Amino acid sequence: STMLPLLLLLLPAAHGIAHLAYRPALTKEPQLEGVKTASTFVVDQPRCVFQNYSNAVIWLVVALNQAASSFNNSAGPGTSETAFQRFPDPVRAYMTLNVTLGSYPCPKPDGDIAVLRVGSETSCIQDDTRPTCNGPLPHPGPYRVKFLALEGSVPVAETAWSVPITLREAKPTSTISTTGSGHSADMIAITTILSILFAILLAGLVAMLFFWGSDSCGSSSTFSKPESVTVRRYNTHHVYDQPAARL
Amino acid sequence: MAKSDDCVHILQGLLVFGNVVIGICGIALTAECIYFVSDPHGLDPLLTATANSDINAAAWIGIFVGLALFALSILGIIGVIKASRTLLMVYIILMLITFAFEMASCITAATHRDSLTPEFFLKQMLDRYQKSDPGNNSDSEITKTWDELMLQNHCCGVTGPSDWQEYTSEFRRTHSDADYPWPRKCCVLNAQGLPVNLDGCKLGVPGYYNSNGCYDAISGPVNTQAWGVAWFGFAILCWTFCVLLGTMFYWSGIEY
Repeated sequence: STMLPLLLLLLPAAHGIAHLAYRPALTKEPQLEGVKTASTFVVDQPRCVFQNYSNAVIWLVVALNQAASSFNNSAGPGTSETAFQRFPDPVRAYMTLNVTLGSYPCPKPDGDIAVLRVGSETSCIQDDTRPTCNGPLPHPGPYRVKFLALEGSVPVAETAWSVPITLREAKPTSTISTTGSGHSADMIAITTILSILFAILLAGLVAMLFFWGSDSCGSSSTFSKPESVTVRRYNTHHVYDQPAARL
Repeated sequence: MAKSDDCVHILQGLLVFGNVVIGICGIALTAECIYFVSDPHGLDPLLTATANSDINAAAWIGIFVGLALFALSILGIIGVIKASRTLLMVYIILMLITFAFEMASCITAATHRDSLTPEFFLKQMLDRYQKSDPGNNSDSEITKTWDELMLQNHCCGVTGPSDWQEYTSEFRRTHSDADYPWPRKCCVLNAQGLPVNLDGCKLGVPGYYNSNGCYDAISGPVNTQAWGVAWFGFAILCWTFCVLLGTMFYWSGIEY
């Protein structure tokens, strides 16, 4: 009876898979405009995480949010259980982006951008001969990812699962409202003032037409120029008359 | 009598001066509107693609109004100097007609300018950029205009590259999101017109793509045109109003 607890304690050790504390996350540094698009997302490379596993091949596991906890680490990559082409149905988690530790040198040199773009390979989306294709994700998710180190076909280390990642969803253009921007103050000012000015001018024109034939209002006040013309005519008339009178 | 003679002469002088200014402004208005009609910024396809191309209409009206103002100002000067009631009546009526047209032009320019919001351009760009409809010429014009715009001004989309992510578009229909999160023209291009770093551009790494939107590059010239037509026209009309009032007053003082 004492053997049983001891055996139970030994079993996980016999599995040998190390659970690393590292949690994959969307890249925050540098700020990338495309950190999440409609079908791709970008996570940091796991630098200085798998240092003790120099012989391992490091895989990225991408799973549907609900399927993360039920993922079997012993599922082989590149098989029909983990093929990208059969994701998300019936395959609920696929494995891709396999590299050796040499691709993730530690420490990361300053200025280097060490990221992994999940979903960047479009050439193998339908290619069943490439089950480890890093193809674009079919729907906004949410998804969770983790890194898994395999020596041969034996999983030796894994990171924690990331937090659920939901991709961007595009809205239809009909949701853009192009109406109701209203009228600017400029336009209202121009319309109002010009309308008033035009109305005044029309009123003035009407008044002018009304007084066309009759003696005008201001005739007695300022415009004496026409008066002086008639006076001059009158004077010349007199000048012609006088010599005739003398004769 | 001498005093009212002076008054008459002053009024005549003022009216002649007023008409001279109107004539000069008329020529200036014509010149300005010709400049706008010639579309120096190549943005016409974006503005005329809508059902109404009112800013251009306002500019066209401005050309003819400017010429009319010049001609009428000469008529006005002659009428004032000769103190002819008939000439001045004709002048006033024709001026009022011109006033009405110019008023329409100003209001049209201002109203249309108000409708050119970022949302308007965004919707137009998303619906028609890279639309491969062989029958429709204006779509390819819009595509060419946008390409030129993004190339010259180092900008992307209306508010930024995220326009292509936030909304579905014609472009998205024909270009996969993984390969083309945004058009290639949004990338920083080398002398051959190829992206300097395509992966950097797709990721959105600062320095390899154009992160600002093109709305500023569009609204600048559009604003200049709209306000140039609208406010300059408004100023001319205010001056014309004063001259016309003075002319009416002068006309009413002329003895028959």
